[in-house]
Amino acid sequence: MLTVYIDFKSPASYLAINPVLALVERHGIALAWKPFRTSEREAPTVTDNASVAQMHRKVRAVSRRVIQQKYAAHQGISLEFPEAVGNTDLALGALALTSGDPLPFINAAFAAYWTDHADLNAPTALAILMSETTGEDFVLDDKSCLDALESSQAEAEKLGVVDAPAFIIRDQLFIGREHLPWIDEIIRTET
Amino acid sequence: MNVLQSDSPLIVYVDVKSPYAFVAIRPTLALEVELGMKFDWRPLTLDIPSYLGSAEKKEGKVVASSGRSPKVWNAIRYSYGDARRYAKRQGLILKGTEKIWDSSIANIGILWVVEQDRDKLGGYFDAVFPPFWRRELDIEDVDVVKSCLAAAGVDADGFDDFQSGEGRALHDDLQPQFHPHGIYGVPTYVIGDEVLFGREHIPYLRWHLSGQKGPAPDIAYEIEPC
Repeated sequence: MLTVYIDFKSPASYLAINPVLALVERHGIALAWKPFRTSEREAPTVTDNASVAQMHRKVRAVSRRVIQQKYAAHQGISLEFPEAVGNTDLALGALALTSGDPLPFINAAFAAYWTDHADLNAPTALAILMSETTGEDFVLDDKSCLDALESSQAEAEKLGVVDAPAFIIRDQLFIGREHLPWIDEIIRTET
Repeated sequence: MNVLQSDSPLIVYVDVKSPYAFVAIRPTLALEVELGMKFDWRPLTLDIPSYLGSAEKKEGKVVASSGRSPKVWNAIRYSYGDARRYAKRQGLILKGTEKIWDSSIANIGILWVVEQDRDKLGGYFDAVFPPFWRRELDIEDVDVVKSCLAAAGVDADGFDDFQSGEGRALHDDLQPQFHPHGIYGVPTYVIGDEVLFGREHIPYLRWHLSGQKGPAPDIAYEIEPC
């Protein structure tokens, strides 16, 4: 079983979807998608007298964006960074509550956030997205969603997850899709 | 020296005190050999306290820390653990450092080797990085760095003057150029006008440097079988 923690506002999570699906297709391994609330932040604005720390954060954030957009282009993914980082809590909670195959919802939610800058914390829009993609008559209950997210969050943090995408396989934690070669090796060793 | 310009097809920035650089050295040297190229290796001495806060450890326990939240500590713990397991795959030991070192002398050693005997650079990295990460090397001591140069077969005569004079000036001249040119950590690879942080870009670098045939690969930490 491969467990993958994701957040819809995390570009690295979005870029991990296709490589993870390719891995799963190669090995036929069971897969569980789980939500994890990341701390994505906008690239800070800096003034002429910014501290080294402020400059470092700014340069790092800008560099990461450029690199993520570069690899997104390789995958044919549109990655339009919103002006302000959106709250995705309700969508993440909804993911935790999905009973069937969550992949259509995951794909739709990522595309909605990164192409249309959709508000994934808006109950009505989210309920429609869930119903359309899961085929379930989804009645969104804010409290249940948020409780489900907090439960998943606590479980992830207990496992040492600090960012997404995070992978748990055979009790090992890997953060970032750059680890997929090692994860692939673990799966091959298992089977 | 301009931080983005070189006669080599690839510039590689490293810092002896970075665990990420440590685990990137061998894969990057291997790429150099595989492609039959000579990369332009340069030092980037990280100013860690300015952006991650500072800490001092004794016998594995933190005895002093400033500016680090529990979240930052968790991320640092994961990062070290992650670098450690990849180091282990390379047959290397990576112990957490007891303090944030001034690695400038050992990093100026890179400039010295490049100037004196470029082909010994791999030997110098072998003499510095693994023992430092086993906590066996005081890289703030000029004589220790000179012994590493000697171990790599590089003449260390003149290094005293170089590390405090010409080499120090070269090193210090690079430092203020990094942020304005989008460089913030190590290993950083500069290829053409692209600045890429992290060894996960090695597959892309190989693809780029060998003619860009087929689709561009995704990021990956390439692994050798355990």
